[in-house]
Amino acid sequence: MGGGSIIADITTPDLETCAREPIHIPGAIQPHGALFVLRASDMIVVQASINVTDYLGDDIVVGERPRGAVGGLLDSILQWHQTPEPTLQIPVAPYGLIVVAHRSGRSIIVEAEREEPQTASQTFTSLRSFVQTLAQQADHDASLQVTARFLRQLTGFDRTLVYQFDEDWNGQVVAEAGNGALPSYLDLRFPASDIPAQARALYATNPVRIIPNATYDAVPIIPVANPDTQTPLDLSFAQLRSVSPVHLEYMRNMGTAASMSVSIMIDGRLWGLVSCHSAAPHYVGIVTRDVCELIVQSLAMRIAAQQREVSSASRAQLGRITSRLLTLMSSGTKWPEELIDAGDDLQAQVGADGAAIITETGYFTVGECPREDEVRTIVRWLEEERSDADLVASHSLASELPPASAFAASASGVLAVRISELHPSWVIWFRPEVVRTVKWGGNPHKLVTEEGRIHPRNSFDAWREQVHQQAKPWTESELSAARDLRRAIVGIVLRRAEELAELTSELRRSNKELEAFSYSVSHDLRAPFRHIVGFAQLLRERETSLDAKSQHYLRNISESALAAGRLVDDLLNFSQLGRASIASKNVDMNKLVEEVIKSVMLSRPDRQVEWKIGRLPTAWGDATLLRQVWYNLIDNAVKYSRDREPAVISIDGSTADDVTVYSISDNGVGFDMAYVGKLFGVFQRLQRAEDFDGTGIGLALVRRIVERHNGTVKATGEEDKGATFTFALPTPEKKGRALA
Amino acid sequence: MPELRPILLVEDSPRDLELTLAALEKCQLANDIVIARDGAEAVDYLFSTGQYAEREEGDPTVVLLDLKLPKVDGLEVLERVKQDPKLRHIPIVMLTSSREEQDLVRSYQLGVNAFVVKPVEFNEFFKAIQDLGVFWALLNEPPPGYRPQ
Repeated sequence: MGGGSIIADITTPDLETCAREPIHIPGAIQPHGALFVLRASDMIVVQASINVTDYLGDDIVVGERPRGAVGGLLDSILQWHQTPEPTLQIPVAPYGLIVVAHRSGRSIIVEAEREEPQTASQTFTSLRSFVQTLAQQADHDASLQVTARFLRQLTGFDRTLVYQFDEDWNGQVVAEAGNGALPSYLDLRFPASDIPAQARALYATNPVRIIPNATYDAVPIIPVANPDTQTPLDLSFAQLRSVSPVHLEYMRNMGTAASMSVSIMIDGRLWGLVSCHSAAPHYVGIVTRDVCELIVQSLAMRIAAQQREVSSASRAQLGRITSRLLTLMSSGTKWPEELIDAGDDLQAQVGADGAAIITETGYFTVGECPREDEVRTIVRWLEEERSDADLVASHSLASELPPASAFAASASGVLAVRISELHPSWVIWFRPEVVRTVKWGGNPHKLVTEEGRIHPRNSFDAWREQVHQQAKPWTESELSAARDLRRAIVGIVLRRAEELAELTSELRRSNKELEAFSYSVSHDLRAPFRHIVGFAQLLRERETSLDAKSQHYLRNISESALAAGRLVDDLLNFSQLGRASIASKNVDMNKLVEEVIKSVMLSRPDRQVEWKIGRLPTAWGDATLLRQVWYNLIDNAVKYSRDREPAVISIDGSTADDVTVYSISDNGVGFDMAYVGKLFGVFQRLQRAEDFDGTGIGLALVRRIVERHNGTVKATGEEDKGATFTFALPTPEKKGRALA
Repeated sequence: MPELRPILLVEDSPRDLELTLAALEKCQLANDIVIARDGAEAVDYLFSTGQYAEREEGDPTVVLLDLKLPKVDGLEVLERVKQDPKLRHIPIVMLTSSREEQDLVRSYQLGVNAFVVKPVEFNEFFKAIQDLGVFWALLNEPPPGYRPQ
């Protein structure tokens, strides 16, 4: 449909053929002008179209310098060749021609076309009136409409279309002016394959193309190859370039005999085309085409300005939302929760209906989202297929991730930003499916080929198609808002990480201080207690004459100092455990328990205990530390069952899946389960000190040791009935993982 | 029965010194007890230098060495003795308040013969000192080939 478009079916393999057609080197031109090629170094004509004499008589002979009127232009051409100007346009008055020169490698391509009867002042007047009219148009659509109408008047074509590309290069007719000779195409869409990529590339570099007669006979250029380079002539920038036969067929199928198109370039990108057609052959000269180019440039600037206005307004709006979200996040400590709490703003940030935040440990949603497992499917796809992207946007997710068609209703559109490089951590926005009806200019899916040759479709009647599994596309300002939010979150996450690192090093420092402290306690606090005990003892032995009361006082001094000394010992023991390295090996628990029982009973020679010891599984751990565990547990059991006759203590063990469990039960005083939580705390005692001695550290020590082995401890009891303590250690087979 | 060589007691704390001496006294050992109040003094005695340059020849039967000492600390004394080919046979018992693992490991690395954490309980302390004294002063035979000079 566009001036240089080719048709191919998007489903046919012939598309390949079509997209590969080297349309910039057709080796021929259209017959509405003539072309010759000069070698830049010596101005010898190296190639020429075979109709060159029709336009320039004997001035041009291949292998010689131009003569006559054209020869008179050589100085101007040489002069221009020294400048950076891309083209040179000069009239050749004697022949009623205008020639245009442009560079191609080491050659200069010169084209000649007939001069129009129009005068410069006419052209100027029409241009000025257009610029004034355009300036009065308040909105985008009106600007397009005015341009279409004006270009039709200026050029005399039957119909003028403004055609806009979407991000997939499908085109839609957004404005139209016509005299009724050709059907209206307003609102129709044309598939991207109508204008293949290499044609679009030509449009971007060469803004105006014309085909005055679709039934023309191409005029060959001879010789076909440039004698200096032995390559075909590159006509990318040539006005007269002959177009693909497929395109001519496309034009004929559309019922058009003449076409012209002007590229609308915005910010360096092909935004669309103004496309003019006539039912009968129709020619527009160089000067008018230049005016058309200027007009379309004015339109492009107008569109760009309007776009910027809209996008800066929406950017400002999104910016306000971003800064609100930032304020929220930076004041709190947990960014995902804070973002989710700001639900409306989070969705408004990019104009989404729902959002999900996925972090290493959390999953949060707000608004309309797919199910969690579906969101996780998206995250897996992002991690695997888009691993190098920080921002991924799609308005037809199912076309990229087929399983997503199952939840297209809520998530046809996704916009995802990556928060972490280390683990899957994303903010994802969702847009629902919008089922639209698209009017195509003919059925774009219909195969219209025969015998291996590409044919464009014959019918351009509106062909309606329902489009499913697509959402409203994300705009550039929405993407940039998402980028802003991502930057902010990453900043916050990084700051948190830094704070955490700082805290860690502070902890490490204070831990060091604590170590130094306990070291000095070990040396300095322990000694005085030892001295008190020692001298009290010496005094008692020496002063045998002391009365009973004095003896009692002395004993109190000794015992108190002794208790204090033990407390220091136990505390040090406890604090060392946090630092001591664990030397794990297989430990025969039966043997260990036996030894411990012996040692416990040695210090309580008056006690009788009935022991029931089962077969204990081998443990994987530090023998010295495990001995301490058993010592404290057994000592406790013996201690708290002293009033029982007989005292019965059972010790048993078993191996479950990945843990080995040991237990010790006694029939002693037990404890109230209400206080079970206090049992393993430092200095927690459930019995009065005068009833049972001890520092209140024993069970805390047990828990600490077991936990250093990645195990767990548990206690159950009943007052006056007894207590059971169990501890579970990872089994030796799993030691690699459990003790790592 | 080897001839009675002295016991060298290296202890800076006067109270610990008094208690240790009381304990040793109870053992009724016939050995002399030489007292050094810091690491430097101990080194002088062992190497017959400084104030002990003129002392009678002969090594102590055992050294009871406190870990934390002024000037030259116990670990250093231990290291110097154990690195000296003439002195390294002398049994050294490290006495300390410390239960710090690193002290213990370091002492064994340096070749200590025994390591005793001074118990708080005086009876235990007595017993420990007595055992040490008896073991090292009376029962411990010098290594084969050793001849007191």
